[in-house]
Amino acid sequence: MTNGAAMLLRTVGLTKIFRGDGVRVAALRGVDVALHHGEFAAVIGPSGSGKSTLLHMVGGLEPPTNGEIWLNGARVDGLSQARWAMLRRRHIGFVFQFFNLVSNMTVADNVELAALMGGATRRQARDRREELLAELGLAAKADAAPARLSGGEQQRVALARAMANRPSLLLADEPTGNLDSAASQAVLRLLGKAHADGQAILLVTHDARVACAADRVISLFDGMVIDDAAMDLPLLRATPAADRSDPPLRTPLPDVLKLRG
Amino acid sequence: MGAVARWIRADMRASAGQATAVAGVVAGVMTALLLSAGLLQGATNPWQGLFTASRGAQIWLHLAPRTYAASLRSLPDVTAMTSPDEATAATMAQPWQRTRVELRAMRPVLPAIGRPLVSSGRWLSSAVPGGVVLEVTLAEAVHAAVGDELTLDNVDGSIATRVRVVGLAETADQGFYPDQTPGLIWVLPGLLQRVEPDPGRTQEVVGLQISDPDRTGFVVQEVVTQVGSSAVGSVSTWQQVKQSMARRDPLLGLVLALFGLVALGAAVLAIINVTTGRVLVQHAELGMLQALGFTPAQLTLMLTAEHGLLTAAGIVAGLLGARLLMPLLLGAVPGGSAASVAVPAGWSALIVGGTFAAVVLATAVPAWRAGRVWPAATVRAGPRGHLSRLASTAMAARLPPAIVLGSRAAFVRRMPAVLTIAGLAVPMLMITIGLGFWATLDDVQANPAGIGLATVTVGPGSLTMAQAGHMIAADRDVRASYRCVQAVGLVPGETTTITTLGMGTSGRPYPFDVVFGHLYHAPEQAVATQALLDAFGVQVGQFLQMYFGGVPVTFRIVGRIIDPQYGGEVLAYGTDTLPYEGAPSAAEFYSLVLRPGVPPSIAASRLRGISGGRLDIGLVSDPGDQLGVLRGALGALIGVLALIALTSLLTALRVGIRDHQRDVQVLRAMGLTPGQIKTAVVVRTTVLAFVAVTFGALAGRFGSSYLIGAVSQAYGLGAGLGRAAPPYAVAVTVAVAVIAAAAAGALSVRTGNRIPAAVVLGP
Amino acid sequence: MRMPLLALLAKEPAHGYELKTRLEKVFGEAYPSPNIGQIYVTLQRLERDGLVFSQDVVQTTRPNKRVYELTDVGREALLTWMDRPSDGPRVRDDFFMKLALSEHAGASDRLGLINRQRRHYLSQMRGLTELMTDCDQRIPQLLIEGAMLHLQADLDWLQRCQEEMV
Repeated sequence: MTNGAAMLLRTVGLTKIFRGDGVRVAALRGVDVALHHGEFAAVIGPSGSGKSTLLHMVGGLEPPTNGEIWLNGARVDGLSQARWAMLRRRHIGFVFQFFNLVSNMTVADNVELAALMGGATRRQARDRREELLAELGLAAKADAAPARLSGGEQQRVALARAMANRPSLLLADEPTGNLDSAASQAVLRLLGKAHADGQAILLVTHDARVACAADRVISLFDGMVIDDAAMDLPLLRATPAADRSDPPLRTPLPDVLKLRG
Repeated sequence: MGAVARWIRADMRASAGQATAVAGVVAGVMTALLLSAGLLQGATNPWQGLFTASRGAQIWLHLAPRTYAASLRSLPDVTAMTSPDEATAATMAQPWQRTRVELRAMRPVLPAIGRPLVSSGRWLSSAVPGGVVLEVTLAEAVHAAVGDELTLDNVDGSIATRVRVVGLAETADQGFYPDQTPGLIWVLPGLLQRVEPDPGRTQEVVGLQISDPDRTGFVVQEVVTQVGSSAVGSVSTWQQVKQSMARRDPLLGLVLALFGLVALGAAVLAIINVTTGRVLVQHAELGMLQALGFTPAQLTLMLTAEHGLLTAAGIVAGLLGARLLMPLLLGAVPGGSAASVAVPAGWSALIVGGTFAAVVLATAVPAWRAGRVWPAATVRAGPRGHLSRLASTAMAARLPPAIVLGSRAAFVRRMPAVLTIAGLAVPMLMITIGLGFWATLDDVQANPAGIGLATVTVGPGSLTMAQAGHMIAADRDVRASYRCVQAVGLVPGETTTITTLGMGTSGRPYPFDVVFGHLYHAPEQAVATQALLDAFGVQVGQFLQMYFGGVPVTFRIVGRIIDPQYGGEVLAYGTDTLPYEGAPSAAEFYSLVLRPGVPPSIAASRLRGISGGRLDIGLVSDPGDQLGVLRGALGALIGVLALIALTSLLTALRVGIRDHQRDVQVLRAMGLTPGQIKTAVVVRTTVLAFVAVTFGALAGRFGSSYLIGAVSQAYGLGAGLGRAAPPYAVAVTVAVAVIAAAAAGALSVRTGNRIPAAVVLGP
Repeated sequence: MRMPLLALLAKEPAHGYELKTRLEKVFGEAYPSPNIGQIYVTLQRLERDGLVFSQDVVQTTRPNKRVYELTDVGREALLTWMDRPSDGPRVRDDFFMKLALSEHAGASDRLGLINRQRRHYLSQMRGLTELMTDCDQRIPQLLIEGAMLHLQADLDWLQRCQEEMV
């Protein structure tokens, strides 16, 4: 975490209560989260902990019941849908479980559409699309309709779509949810590359492999944040003297291999 | 903007079937509306167009020969006058029929006012002394064309002259043939003299243009005063001509316009259905698009633009269709001609604009409402509902679960169910009314005397009335014949002349279908049509006075009849009422009542054959023609309505399929077999269709007799005309609709299973 | 055995038999009933290492009993154990014991316990990931992958512990 860098995202006391059919469900209860530019944070927790809801609200897809959301120093939680839409075009990309692809456009169109909405020219959009699809190994399916792709392929295309407009903030909900390990690796690689290029990422996952690739891991439970840990650089080397508040994450790796067989 | 365009293009491609349906519905409705507006216009105002183009005269006089007409020019209100033209009565003989006509002499140089408009061929020229120009409607009625050779016989048949048709022309001088018999033929003065050398048998025809058309009545009074009423053979005013030209078609046009209007309403409903259904199905997708960055306003724009484009395409297709079909339609309607037909710009703009606005509204509202929902909420959206007590009771009673679930599913989404039902019920209502109209037409056609139409008239031609009478009596298809006379009477104060009919005698009157009062049984008693009563402001039981050749006759109206042939203005009485000596141009003929079931045209051609062509057979414009067109139009409209209903049905299906796919896993887990699940879908659409169609049919059944009665009342046909649709026809239609719904349901379930909706659209 | 005894003693001094009873109460069916003899042996070793000290308490009607008490060193060792994430071959047993005994040990922050363990697992996973990218032979890769899967399972279990015990 770089202290000098500006704060990209900040939520204060974010709350969401769903009312439906006389039942009141508190999905989030006063969540405070902060993300800096270029930071990669993973949100983990059991189902029902409010992870997806948090992402929806940060992306403006759901209005909060209470609390504040600040994006780049500007308060956004009260914005109209139209303004949110415009914000999303240029600054936010997302991969969500249910909003993957526009069903009546081809894969290529889907990705290009996002780029176009982000302000690229047609030429730029096309190049960006080709680049992303190639990265994800989907260049061959560029002209296919989404319905013809497998779940995993659709998810990867969705990721390409999310990144097509070079957003400041990438939101992802279980981006490796349906994927086998090879595809997961591809996704992780792409995310890592984006991160290295300075992309801020907030993603929800239950997969520890994905979570540990992040700079920070935020644990949600029952609508509240219970832990917010910074993941230091991986330690193949020893750390200096242990600090109890920030426990050294020392891992005797050969032991691990030996002992967990 | 590029993104918006891209999405629209992709979406249209993806749902091409539905897109075509929308455009098709719009096109169909557009064509129907434009055609009916055109007919309505063409029917209500062919006169206006003709009058202006031909620089017509408002008053036409037939005067006795050598009347000093020049003095008329100096009357204060008269701005121009045609030079008197000679006219005479004659008979046009063709190989297969004889027709009474009026010859009018005109010069090769067209006059300044009252000039005929040549529509084909050319005008008279001195190079072709034997050439004649026929008035267009006459030519159509007798199937004469440019280049034909005819024979013109003078009144007593002593001279026959061969002539050739060199052209056809339209005029605003008189109404369409055969409304205004006799038909009009223009000839060179020399030819007229050849045909009828006896000057005593000619009349002078003068046309007057006046400064203030509203003062026509006064001017006629002045004219009659000036030249003396004994010199006036007949007077016709522009109002009469206009009305006569407007006569027949309003019924047709009105019916079509009425239907078209309701069809527009039904189409709007269908489009609303389609859009709402589409928006429902695309709900999650709309959320997706919003998530991508389309603002709610843009979404509304996208959907509206997409449907707007489709509608525009439909409108263009409709305009083209109307343009193509109009001449065909008019070919079948007597009195139609190109000049009078184009749909006036005002009407077109209204129809096109109205359709477009309706579609835009129908699209924009649900799209806007959908856009207002937060994207994440659209994922959760699903039909709300709980198992009603009715449904649970049904389940407990061990009714097949597929039926129960299907029926319940039909109503679980309240608003779409209402829209679907409306979208199916309204077309059904109209179709039922249409069937009622059809039944009425059947009635009319089978029993024309039942509504007072004289079917066949026989003029003596070159024979005497007595000889003609014998021939008629010998024909086995003629049940009865009545000796009739057509007399032109002048109504004081009304300053117009009207054609009256002496039909049979007071002792043996023509058996009109009297809807109120009774037939005439004594001299000076008469029956009249509603239109005539309205025109003169009298009622049954009151008196009406007329002059026949200067001799006054006072009629007492004893009954009301229906006779649409003369534009509804008919006064009929026993021939013994007429003062024969003084009635000018009294034309005698026989009116025949045929045996039931004999088509008039067959009887007419047989009589022609029997008489060797010497009899002058007139077929009162076969209602079959006009009604044939009406039937055709009805059939087309019913087709359009069925299409509209189909669109609503398909939309309901689409929504149902989506819900079905959503639930199929759950239902299977609950223990329903795939077969049962499919049955539930079919049941759903069938139930909706059944409710809608039954409702529409019942409403239509009650509505149709009322509607037809109202229409015929408005047109002076009197009440009592309408017939409701026969029950078996309605039952068959209902059955067809329900079966179609079930079949569509079954088909779509089969194909619908292939698409893994859950993957793309989410649960 | 060592740490559980220290944890139990952190609350209050006790003699051998009491410790046995308490162990049974805490762990119930999870572990076989502890052997009193083993308990005494472990206590003696702890005393030798200076983590506990014992006193004889005179009893009138019974034989004298030896009461054990936690020393400062012992307390220190206990806290160190609590704070440090569990690791090694019996990681789950070790962690579970901590969780179960946290109240007794006076370190009642179960959530913190879980958090620390989770962080540990995550960093281990990170290390494995690094290893995986450096390694390019299939068999070692499979081994690493196996380790990863186990780690994932442990994390999931941690989540369950959280749900049940926090």
